[in-house]
Amino acid sequence: MSVSSQLSHALPKGSVIYGSENTRAFECDGLSVYKQKPMAVALPKSVEQVKAVLKICRRTKTPVVTRGAGTGLSGGATPLEGCVVLGLSKMTQILSIDVEKQLAVVEPGVRNLAISEAVAEHGLYYAPDPSSQIACTIGGNVAENSGGVHCLKYGLTVHNVEAIKMLTMDGEELILSRSDEGLGLLALMNGSEGLLGVITEITVKLTRKPALAKLVMAGFDTVRECANAVADIIKAGIVPAGLEMMDKFAIEASEAFAHAGYPLDAEALLLCELDGEVESVEAELEAALKILAGASTIKVSENEAERLLLWKGRKSAFPAVGRLAPDYYCMDGTIPKRHLAGVLEKINELSEHYQLRVANVFHAGDGNLHPLILYNAGKPGEIDKAEAFGMDILKHCVAVGGSITGEHGVGIEKLDAMCVQYSAAEIEVFHQIKAVFDPQSLLNPGKAVPELHRCAELGNMHVHHGELPHPELDRF
Amino acid sequence: MKSIAEFQQLIKESEQIHIGGARSESLENIDMSAYSGIVEYHPEELVITLKAGTSIAEIEKILKKNNQALTFYTDNPEQTIGALYASSGADFADAILGVQIINGKGQLMNFGGQVMKNVAGYDVSRLLVGSKGRLALITQMSFKILPTAAALNHQKKPKPQQNTSALHASLTQKLKQIFDPYGVFV
Repeated sequence: MSVSSQLSHALPKGSVIYGSENTRAFECDGLSVYKQKPMAVALPKSVEQVKAVLKICRRTKTPVVTRGAGTGLSGGATPLEGCVVLGLSKMTQILSIDVEKQLAVVEPGVRNLAISEAVAEHGLYYAPDPSSQIACTIGGNVAENSGGVHCLKYGLTVHNVEAIKMLTMDGEELILSRSDEGLGLLALMNGSEGLLGVITEITVKLTRKPALAKLVMAGFDTVRECANAVADIIKAGIVPAGLEMMDKFAIEASEAFAHAGYPLDAEALLLCELDGEVESVEAELEAALKILAGASTIKVSENEAERLLLWKGRKSAFPAVGRLAPDYYCMDGTIPKRHLAGVLEKINELSEHYQLRVANVFHAGDGNLHPLILYNAGKPGEIDKAEAFGMDILKHCVAVGGSITGEHGVGIEKLDAMCVQYSAAEIEVFHQIKAVFDPQSLLNPGKAVPELHRCAELGNMHVHHGELPHPELDRF
Repeated sequence: MKSIAEFQQLIKESEQIHIGGARSESLENIDMSAYSGIVEYHPEELVITLKAGTSIAEIEKILKKNNQALTFYTDNPEQTIGALYASSGADFADAILGVQIINGKGQLMNFGGQVMKNVAGYDVSRLLVGSKGRLALITQMSFKILPTAAALNHQKKPKPQQNTSALHASLTQKLKQIFDPYGVFV
């Protein structure tokens, strides 16, 4: 019996999709340049049904690509040839809410924003807020260790997950908790991109809503002044809830889209959100305004509507930039903040070199850059040019002490860039970790960690003190 | 002992070795307390990079000058940051951003980095928190710090609990094999 028929027998009617036309909706995730139709899509509603899918795939040695809402930006949920997509979007139950302990137990298909909506009546919310939060699922958030605009103060997904239940490819259940003694297996699962197990239940931490939140918007005549203001705010002992920066091109695009009232004459824009108890917010606001005295424009949100409107410009930066060119390529490098201005200058030089425009939006508080490279996939060779541009940016991020990805993950997109950041021995450790959890390599195989020969062939092998880590490997 | 090369040499030459205070006369021991000091610290980054033998007291002294503080609970100022790393749980791991290690084969490796956000590769720098010196020698680490006013509310957390599942134990054992295949660290 074919895998599709076995799945159809094991799951309730309507839970299995197969055939070229039917599976098209699952052929890519948010990284839509890469497309591959799966052999079948299974949409279980319970842990027992997930186990049944894994059992069939294990027996038939069929690769499994776990998928939440498919909003990921690095191809983590892109199907593999002949794979079964294990879609968890029907597992949408919020199982329990503990207001006193500030915890919620949820199934993996619950949307990020749905958690906050469900607990809003108790004055609570789930803090990590990736821009896709209206659609993305909490299971996907754990798999990618998703971030958002409030990470500086409230942390990443890994900081906001109390416990998980997961299944290994063998169908065995494992419960991992922050209170576990010994190795940090729970932290390891965060950001493991569907390669180590299938997450079936998550206990998330809930955060008390701040009494007051104020957003300061400041426009600057130069990028350097704006970058300096970021450092000065932190040095003054302020931990903003969000600290975002945009360059001129991004300001123009967002303003045309969202009409948030951004200053069009500014070269760089800073959004600084302060939240907490009323008194502390007011004190921090006063200190921040002193630091920002050199700004060419300054505005403080007077009420919630104004605060949300000022955020709307930033949060819609991607679609806004998307209107200006047929395609854009979103990068996700991170750098130590002190290199912000220099890295931006480098990106502008590269933009000249490649003759491709770039709009820059940054989570400046935690040094996470999202340059958006504009291109036209219809023009021959332009995708390659955009990818080469992106790779140059990531190499520069690593060179100044940063990382190739802050929150979007490696997926299939940044496999080559991994060879720049890690040595052969380090990459080998990642492969060995995968083999401990999934010895048959059936869970999302080939994603997140590059094969070593791929690094060698690319000539991108991480070089430490001028020595190649594995001199015995052939270089092509 | 004060250099990475010396540690590597010792690990390569030893059949068995214990990290931390001497346990018995017959067992080779690595004392990290001489391998101490700040590698990098830029207050505006809210990140500090330290050699593993640096004492909590020494770290706190330097942070205090910049009106910054640790984000995790400590009650022994004499303890080294490496010892705390090796014996802690998730609340300490929350602050960890990157780690430099020497594995049981004497290879020097780096995982994570000096930035707040980094999802490239599995999170080995947080995985090894609580590894009790049994997987690798931790030589250096980077972690997040905060302004004093923002860092004040951390308290002693309940003791970590043993995860009783057989699968957990078997995964832990297999993970040790990756870092210390010859069983050098005891």
